[in-house]
Amino acid sequence: MATAYLLLAPATVLLLGMLAYPLGWEVWISFTDFSPLNDHGPRFVGLENYRHLLADAEFWRAVVVTVGFAAATTLAKLALGVAFALLLARPFRGRTLVFLAIFLPWAYPASVSVIGWYWTLSPPIPTAYSPFMGTLKYTVDGALGGGAWAFLSVTLFNIWRGSSFIGVFLLAGINAVPPELFECALLESRSAWRRFWLVTVPLLRPFLALAVFLSLTTAFADLANVWLLTAGRVVFPVVGTQAYWLAIKGGQFGPASALSLMLVPFLLAVLALLFRAFDPPAEARA
Amino acid sequence: MAQVLLKDLNKKYDEVHAVKDVNLHIRDKEFIVLVGPSGCGKSTTLRMVAGLEEITAGEIAIGDRVVNDLPPKDRDIAMVFQNYALYPHMTVYDNMAFGLKMRKFPKAEIQKRVQDAAEILGIQDLLKRKPRQLSGGQRQRVAVGRAIVRHPQVFLFDEPLSNLDAKLRVQMRVELKRLHDRLETTAIYVTHDQVEAMTLGDRVVVMKDGWIQQVGEPLELYTKPSNRFVAGFIGSPAMNFVDVGIQGSDSSLTAQGTGIRLAIPPVNASQLGPYKGQRVTLGIRPEDLHIAAGGDQAGYVFDAVVDVVEPLGSEILLDVKAGPNSLVARVEPTVRLKVHDGVRLAVNPDRLHFFDMTSEKAI
Amino acid sequence: MVIERPWKRWVYFYIPLTLFVIGTLFPFYWMLITAIRPDAELYRSWRAVNNAPFWTLHPTLEHFRDLFEKTTFPHWLWNTFFIAVISTGISLFCGLLAGYALARLKFPMAGALGTSIFVTYLVPPTLLFIPLADIIRNFQLGNTPWALILTYPTFLIPFCTWLLMGYFKTIPKELEECARIDGATRFGAMVRIIFPIAVPGILSAGIFAFTLSWNEFIYALVFLSSPERKTVPVGVVSEMIRGDIYFWGQLMAGALLGSIPVALVYSFFVEYYVTGLTGSVKG
Repeated sequence: MATAYLLLAPATVLLLGMLAYPLGWEVWISFTDFSPLNDHGPRFVGLENYRHLLADAEFWRAVVVTVGFAAATTLAKLALGVAFALLLARPFRGRTLVFLAIFLPWAYPASVSVIGWYWTLSPPIPTAYSPFMGTLKYTVDGALGGGAWAFLSVTLFNIWRGSSFIGVFLLAGINAVPPELFECALLESRSAWRRFWLVTVPLLRPFLALAVFLSLTTAFADLANVWLLTAGRVVFPVVGTQAYWLAIKGGQFGPASALSLMLVPFLLAVLALLFRAFDPPAEARA
Repeated sequence: MAQVLLKDLNKKYDEVHAVKDVNLHIRDKEFIVLVGPSGCGKSTTLRMVAGLEEITAGEIAIGDRVVNDLPPKDRDIAMVFQNYALYPHMTVYDNMAFGLKMRKFPKAEIQKRVQDAAEILGIQDLLKRKPRQLSGGQRQRVAVGRAIVRHPQVFLFDEPLSNLDAKLRVQMRVELKRLHDRLETTAIYVTHDQVEAMTLGDRVVVMKDGWIQQVGEPLELYTKPSNRFVAGFIGSPAMNFVDVGIQGSDSSLTAQGTGIRLAIPPVNASQLGPYKGQRVTLGIRPEDLHIAAGGDQAGYVFDAVVDVVEPLGSEILLDVKAGPNSLVARVEPTVRLKVHDGVRLAVNPDRLHFFDMTSEKAI
Repeated sequence: MVIERPWKRWVYFYIPLTLFVIGTLFPFYWMLITAIRPDAELYRSWRAVNNAPFWTLHPTLEHFRDLFEKTTFPHWLWNTFFIAVISTGISLFCGLLAGYALARLKFPMAGALGTSIFVTYLVPPTLLFIPLADIIRNFQLGNTPWALILTYPTFLIPFCTWLLMGYFKTIPKELEECARIDGATRFGAMVRIIFPIAVPGILSAGIFAFTLSWNEFIYALVFLSSPERKTVPVGVVSEMIRGDIYFWGQLMAGALLGSIPVALVYSFFVEYYVTGLTGSVKG
């Protein structure tokens, strides 16, 4: 037993130091007016930061955008991912090439491929096909407000990259299910649609649950990609970018901490849902 | 070479009481087999002897030493596992030499011992191979070889033959027995297969639900099972059981069941006297049933209807119905009977078993 | 299988699929073309006629040369490599021990600890970068590689632990028990038997930890400031976009050079990665 704790010690110490402690600190700071720009140390201000936030229209805008973004991308990724997985589960000519095309967006470092996307979707310097894309961009921005096009490209990028991950992940799930189960279902029902809902989806349930969870958390917390694709044009801010502006650019650690902690309830809600899906009631376990 | 003593041994997991008050004296050089259905506590007992499970209560002694608090490596034992547990990244030679290397034996001694063991088991040609290049039977031999190079005080076997196919299992069974005769090392062998238990064991321990049911030599278990569970577990096909009521006077007791009525033989009469007017379980082994002939006494025959005929070549198994009771009889291969035929069967009066209905103990 | 007419198969299957494949791979192609396009084609007046928008007739390696001669790109490569190796080493060590303990040893709270490590993997950097920035500032580690070497384990350790725990669970525990009976201590059995067998798992955990830290963006963006200290992903983005001026050629050349190795590694080891993930699902 002592061995167990000894073996766990290095990981625990590092995680406590660099994860638990910072989180605790963040919670504390969110109740203060702390800023590295101030001369004085953190002063306790109670729920002031949170009250400010909840009264701030900008914050609610960011929340709406974040939730909408997470929901839309997750749904799209899930649908596409399932389609990819089902497509790749069967042999056909050219499968390897298609696998590569589906797999590469996920395998490729996001921070780099996002630049490729930016370059593809909103070429700022006149070149190549830019007149066409430029027109498209101005039409979208004109209709929905400046930055709409950039935000749309974030969504597309997230779907492009995420659906490839979910596809590969679910494919592994399908391969882990004994093929007899699918063959048996083939004898039971002629409708592919019914088979899909009655057999494939329940069998893949744990995989789907984890995929949804990973997708939602990354979407909620997406900071890097939104940042890169919109590059500060915060017309459609998400909670993450707002916090980044406040803390790193503005030095207002207190409000920024409160802001990023507002993500926690969302993450916890998703986590609770996930654990429900992971631990189905006894009847479903067999 | 050592005796093994288990005293009031108990194992409790969080909610399961896996081993209950096990007391067992395993003699030096003895080959003892623990047998029982899965979950009976036989493997847990073995693993406690090995030191792989902590002992909740009680005491284990190997030789003269109490080993409760000794780590496995200091108990001077060797174990063969069901899945062989060969180290996949080492050659057969290194697998067999590992234990000796860990004990810092000189190189020449290691070489000699591995060679000797390989010779005994006929695996000299495999020493340079990796486990994944071996067949199931060969892996089994390597696992045994790895155990014997150490010359331990006790061998532990945890269902070592269950992963082999039926033919190989019979062959390895014979080899293990020969090996034990040659090495004369105390061995504890766990299996769920009663045939293995009967053929290998000097003595057999039958376990169920964590309790020891009976300890005895194989034939003793077969002829004098101490309770209904042992009677049903040992022997194949299993013993037939019929609910009967004990009736009549002291001089002529009868066992009256539905559709079946037998006289109580004199050998059983005195023990069954007190059960007069009560119900007991009657046990008849399939081989103690035969087609009635002229020589059989009237009290020991009954009529039945053939339900299924299973010709096995050397014998025929007859599944028959006597009233609501299903019984199996092992009869001569020359018997010609068809399904739904009526048949008159006779029992061997010297070999009837009776069990108390509530305690299930033999009467 | 139902026999279909060939043209139907083409119309309903292959043609849409081909379009899809082209669409997915286009950004990669576009990056490659941009990287080898001469500046004269990249920066041109709005109305100039472009006869070859989707390819170039004058491929050049000029951008790659500039990358090495005119920017601190070689520094970035070295920084990224250095940081990734050390943080991977630390995380692998911690993950190996913790993963083994969680997979094999019975002790109170084992389940709870395993779950909490699973959960820490999911704490997003968005939540952590603010307090970590303060810690880094207090320890005066800002703008040094150590800032990242200390912070990357926050997501690498859970990842390694998770993956290795799954791998250890696939190794029959009898191997270890046998070694312990053969004369090894628990620790000896772990080092001499389990770790050698787990080499494929350790390798894949190491490789993925390496690529994760290679690709990390947010912490590197927050904690590093001077140009020669940056890592490839941050350097490429922050140093090759000056205000509104994009050095597109160099940008794409840098992006390609800095990530092709990683992409290759991923493609090579995808099986391991997915096995690790699904192993954790099956629990």
